Amino acid sequence: MRHFQTSTVEQRRVVDTDFATHPLEVAWASEAIFFVDAEQLDEGGGPLLLKVQLSVDGVNWLDEGTAFEPLRGNVSAFRRVSHFGGWLRLEGSLPERGSAYRVTIHLVAKA
Amino acid sequence: MIDYRLAKFQPLKHLVCYDDFDRGLCGWTNLMPNYTLDNFGVRKSIVEKTQWGPIMLSTATFRFPGTHGSMDGLYSLKLATRPVANRYEEPPAPGSMSHAIKRLTTHRKPGRLQFEMWYAYTTEQDRSGLSENDIRAFGVSFDTQNAQARNFAGVRYVNSVNGELKKQWQVMQAGEVSDADWAYGTDGDWCKRGVDPMWYGRRYPDGEADGYRFIPDSRQELCYNESDDKINWLYLRFTYDLESRRYVELQSRDRVFDLSAFAPTDVRPYARIEGLLNPVIWVENDSNRRVFLFVDSVVISVD
Repeated sequence: MRHFQTSTVEQRRVVDTDFATHPLEVAWASEAIFFVDAEQLDEGGGPLLLKVQLSVDGVNWLDEGTAFEPLRGNVSAFRRVSHFGGWLRLEGSLPERGSAYRVTIHLVAKA
Repeated sequence: MIDYRLAKFQPLKHLVCYDDFDRGLCGWTNLMPNYTLDNFGVRKSIVEKTQWGPIMLSTATFRFPGTHGSMDGLYSLKLATRPVANRYEEPPAPGSMSHAIKRLTTHRKPGRLQFEMWYAYTTEQDRSGLSENDIRAFGVSFDTQNAQARNFAGVRYVNSVNGELKKQWQVMQAGEVSDADWAYGTDGDWCKRGVDPMWYGRRYPDGEADGYRFIPDSRQELCYNESDDKINWLYLRFTYDLESRRYVELQSRDRVFDLSAFAPTDVRPYARIEGLLNPVIWVENDSNRRVFLFVDSVVISVD
């Protein structure tokens, strides 16, 4: 049997500034999918930008190279990643002042 | 032939679980509230329970030493808070704790019930220095219910209170307070006095709390080590008598504390959870840091 684990790394978290998700150790896994549910809370059209990051130690982070298309409004999206070493997280940014989103982010990992 | 993996434990006659996290999370999951309201909402509470830091399988890897692994393998169960905290005497901040729970039910006539684990703890090494004071507390407990009562029976190590090291053990036993007092002075909380002392029950600047009693003469050094990136595996054994609903004893490292003077608090049974037997582990931070509790393995046993 292959190992499998779904973790809700962010749950209905309201973000109105740059943020990063709860760092998750995934050394046991060889593939993962980030699922994102985003709900825009402001009236503007400012996007939510998300990119995958990896880390040696869970403290120092580097871009993995995978990014989501800019998210707007109420939207669900996912991105696949593999060959990531020991840690994964998403870094989020809101380039337009006054933007706010409520996000639920799952990290689904498989050995 | 001796099983060296189990030889480091002292189980009672009947094993219920031997969870070595080299085999996965073994049914341990994040503790969450009940999503039973519209749009999967949860009941309003002074304590926000949806944001506790998610648990994970850890290799205990740090920047300079690299990978610790676990005590007898590679993976441990890691509880990790988020980097946010309130002062000790306030309700715990959303995300300031991480909880792991395994959901069981009783299957034998009630006797003694025992929780053992080998564990280690540290802070996230995101800055220079030594951060022992940033870990507030960790503990283990059983959430149980029979036809007579729901009981939370457990112990915690109060490491630091608002940055001041305490290093003393406490046992779960509710003070003579009302349900509203228990919920930090709010009415209508789902939680009754005696339930969820991990985060309910007022706390006081000297480390006292309405949910706990200090165990006498229980100040104890636990080998935090000299740097946040070094962890040492520690032994804990907590024994409770499910039949008499009384505490028995706590062993931490090589010290044994008699708990027979204490009893958990009886709460009127809740609906739909008769026979509940949920072991729980948690850790709480004392400042805006991520703090970690690593659990190599757990044994739950009964006699």
